[in-house]
Amino acid sequence: MSYRYDEQHTPPEPTRVTDVAITTFEDLYEVDPRLMQEWVTQQEFPNWDSLRIMNSRHDHLEWMHEHFAHKVIHGSELLPADPDPNPSGEVSL
Amino acid sequence: MSLTDGGAEPEVTVRDERTQEFVAEWRNASYNCYSSGHKFCREVCPVMQVTRNESWTPTAFHANVVAMERGELDVADIAADYVNCTQCGACELRCPNTLFTGDFYRFRTRTVDVVKAVRALAVEKDIHQPKWQSWNERTDERTHEPVLGDIDISQERVRDWAADLNIPIGGESILFVDCEAAYYRTSVPRAVAQILQAAGYEFGLMAEQWCCGGPAAEMGYVDQARRFAEHNLADWRSVGAKRVLVLDPHDYISFTEDYPKYFGADFDIEVVLVVELIADLIRDGVLTPTVPIERTITYHDPCRLNKRKGIWKEPREILRAIPGLTFRDVDRVTQWSYCSGGGGGLPIEKPELTAAISAGRIAKAADLAVDTLVSACPWSERPLSEAGAAQNIDVIDIHELLAESLGITVGGSRS
Repeated sequence: MSYRYDEQHTPPEPTRVTDVAITTFEDLYEVDPRLMQEWVTQQEFPNWDSLRIMNSRHDHLEWMHEHFAHKVIHGSELLPADPDPNPSGEVSL
Repeated sequence: MSLTDGGAEPEVTVRDERTQEFVAEWRNASYNCYSSGHKFCREVCPVMQVTRNESWTPTAFHANVVAMERGELDVADIAADYVNCTQCGACELRCPNTLFTGDFYRFRTRTVDVVKAVRALAVEKDIHQPKWQSWNERTDERTHEPVLGDIDISQERVRDWAADLNIPIGGESILFVDCEAAYYRTSVPRAVAQILQAAGYEFGLMAEQWCCGGPAAEMGYVDQARRFAEHNLADWRSVGAKRVLVLDPHDYISFTEDYPKYFGADFDIEVVLVVELIADLIRDGVLTPTVPIERTITYHDPCRLNKRKGIWKEPREILRAIPGLTFRDVDRVTQWSYCSGGGGGLPIEKPELTAAISAGRIAKAADLAVDTLVSACPWSERPLSEAGAAQNIDVIDIHELLAESLGITVGGSRS
């Protein structure tokens, strides 16, 4: 609830989730910071800001659904029933 | 700038060393906007809503920095455009580069910081907006903002609002009262102080409180802002403070964003937002509002709480605990496009624009057929009250309303 400098600048110990992503807070995923050291460097992010953005995104998506969606379905329901026979992604002409 | 033949890259000459440093610092933040061009920011921007001026959009504010990098603009060409921003934060939150990827990359849109930086660069180059210059000179002389116009403000009067409330000086918890509340809307700090006293929460006042410095920082007077911050931090330490209780969202921004930048890890003061503290006290049963308030209300999410800090639940918890209220709420996402127009120095330099934005906010309240608009930000309450008078809508602070329901006779001034 309150702001303390030390707390805000100490994120939880990260856990790796893929080759390029880590997670810190529950449901909060971040790019591996080693991938952002050259062209665009990361900004200073106190914990409250990361959590504010994540929570705002959830609120916004819920708001969008309430205002514009007739119904909400899982993305997998849109995929074809038969798996792709060419998983390499090559396109035959 | 000169162009070479044959379609080669133009040879760019940035005008001076300081501008080169500036664009080096802000180019990535500006290209982040310029190269995306989503423009979701436009319709949530309170200034854009009432002016439709393309030069005053968040997109333009970033594009100008790109143009400065290419030597096509100087800060003198565009400094006046940057007045037209309340620093509400709607644009940077609604930007997909923040909302959908900002936390992932730890890189988000920073319109507020860019606007503050351009304003600071202008002041550094002795390019002043006349009313801001006068305002900050007077603030510097009096150590408080001249919120009463021609009526003098002085250090000796900063605690007048608390004259009969028996609040000590110093202690572990210090209540910080912003200039608008300390001198103009004194009912707000009186309500807060008496609510905390009713809860048995011990707190004191500063030995010598100065303006937080946030408004000076917002208008580009960064050296002054820093001096004020250094004074206040030294005062807190001198009276043994470990935490500061903040009733004003603008102060909350100063203490949780500006002060940490000034002092880094040396900033060892806990900052507590009073509206969150009071919601806790109600939740824990320490405070129980019992006096029915027969009003039909809606709640105005202050920009610096809702958009810039993500704080919107606790004020609604407090309002729902007050008996008698008919509460016609508007959700926090819809309110990303709402603003009073009272921030970022806009009412000082362009009061007519603030009035137009406030009138729009009050019109939205009028559509709900309410008699009262409740806010949690003293700086919003003056322009909203002025607009509300034309629509017969009373504007009241959430702390004033809660105090009334706790049976407290608040006192003080609301205008």
